Amino acid sequence: MATLKDAAARKPVLATIRLIVPAGAARPAPPVGPALGFYRLNLMAFCKDFNARTQKYKADTPMQVTLTAYKDSTFEFVVKSPSVSWFLKKAAGIETANSRPGHSNVSSLTLRHVYEIAKLKQADPFCKHMSLEALCKSIIGTANSMGIAIVKDL
Amino acid sequence: MLPSLVRAGSAPLRRVVSTFSSTRAVSPRVPYAISSGGNLSLPFNAQPSPSRDGSSGPAGAARRGMGFCARAVDVGDEAASSSAAAGSDLSAPYLSVRIRCRRHDVEALSEALLCFGASSVTVDDIADAENLDEISITSLYADGEDVDSSVSSAASSAGLNYSPVYETSVGKQCDWVANVQETYEPTEVADGLWVVPKWRTPPDPEATNIIIDPGLAFGMGEHPTTKLCLLFLREVIKGGERVLDYGTGTGVLGIAALKMGATQSTGIDIDPQAITSASENLLLNGLHSNQMPVYLVPANAQPSCFPSAIDKSEDHHSTNYLDLKLSRGTYDVVAANILLNPLLELVEDIVGYAKPGGIIAVSGILEEQVSKIKEVYSRYLDRILVSEMDGWACLRGTRRV
Repeated sequence: MATLKDAAARKPVLATIRLIVPAGAARPAPPVGPALGFYRLNLMAFCKDFNARTQKYKADTPMQVTLTAYKDSTFEFVVKSPSVSWFLKKAAGIETANSRPGHSNVSSLTLRHVYEIAKLKQADPFCKHMSLEALCKSIIGTANSMGIAIVKDL
Repeated sequence: MLPSLVRAGSAPLRRVVSTFSSTRAVSPRVPYAISSGGNLSLPFNAQPSPSRDGSSGPAGAARRGMGFCARAVDVGDEAASSSAAAGSDLSAPYLSVRIRCRRHDVEALSEALLCFGASSVTVDDIADAENLDEISITSLYADGEDVDSSVSSAASSAGLNYSPVYETSVGKQCDWVANVQETYEPTEVADGLWVVPKWRTPPDPEATNIIIDPGLAFGMGEHPTTKLCLLFLREVIKGGERVLDYGTGTGVLGIAALKMGATQSTGIDIDPQAITSASENLLLNGLHSNQMPVYLVPANAQPSCFPSAIDKSEDHHSTNYLDLKLSRGTYDVVAANILLNPLLELVEDIVGYAKPGGIIAVSGILEEQVSKIKEVYSRYLDRILVSEMDGWACLRGTRRV
């Protein structure tokens, strides 16, 4: 979180807002509307900006956005790729994670999947400092908590 | 194997945007900290969908209940407020959950809440709460979500060894709409050209004032792309032109063109909110709907797709697609302020509306996206010029004969 902390040191921060917004499809409706509207942030500017910036992603991919609202009504935002759990669900072709992880497994993925997800995640601003191995371990941990088994080969 | 969903760039996407909060109605100084290092030419995958057709937004009926509703209501009033139509209009409720947790759990809990169904998680500034061990975070949920199970799943996933205390209340959409409305100020786009929110008095009554009530549509005059397009119009409108506002939003560009001397503007958009907003705004500016017909068009707007049946809308306007179809190739000026992908996909549609030799301007693109637009549009346009403002760009050209 180095970059956001720096930002906070420069200007007084009012709030930090986290949202998931589909790429290219931010609209002034929930979740964006109420979350940003509460702090009187310029919704339309955010939507236009976010949509323009996420044109390079497949439409409707759920991007993780972290907004820092400053006390002077300006704001800054950072866009990250979807959560690891989303990638895992996509890869495994499932809708919801297992509600009883450890007791029954929903599905399986291979180490190759984990590696590919790690590669994508490594490009994220906050994961750059992590080694691929560390990322993979973290992803495997998430997979386990979702009841997805990681096997060598399918 | 792993579906190629995302090709993440090598740099964080980061932007500083200043909202219009000062009372000085001068074009705001917008410091855009561009930190897009490296090569952001990323492969784009699959079918792009131009801005959503509002199917999951407050769309559906083009109603815009703009009453200034009360603020977030307590759970006790829930019965009354949730009887309003769910989801698709401005009085639809959402759930606001205030959760208390320990400072050092905030990060993990916030992430977890988002994974377990929260629409957003907001943390009020931590620095203010220096001396407190416990802080509050606010999480918003769509109406009908199971907040209890979401919070408990999130708490255990985040590794909390306690059950956070929380309190749910119901918020109404018009709360935040009203909030944001209040922030808009008149904007002087150029000398003698202002865009003024409906509830404010024009600072210069002698100037060309475009009155806008934004609602949930885009185009209040303060965004660089709107300004670039308005400046473009100012340059090319001499009087008597027929103008097409492709992706009209609030109708600001179409209305401006009329005020600058165009004979007729036509506004089209895929979002019903835009149609409502533009229709109301043209009346606010003393214009007649004959001067500016507005059409709701399907999201995959190819001319052949227009239904031959007429008039799907309810109120303001006639959606006589035949008129729109017939107007192809007749416009002197076409302005399209949308987004990169729709501009690329719909190039033939956009250019096709202009008469040969007509002038076309496209915007809603970042400076880094100009080359892609130029590559595609130079097949159809001559005399291409690019103008830029604060990291945004507008490309114009004349339709090849």
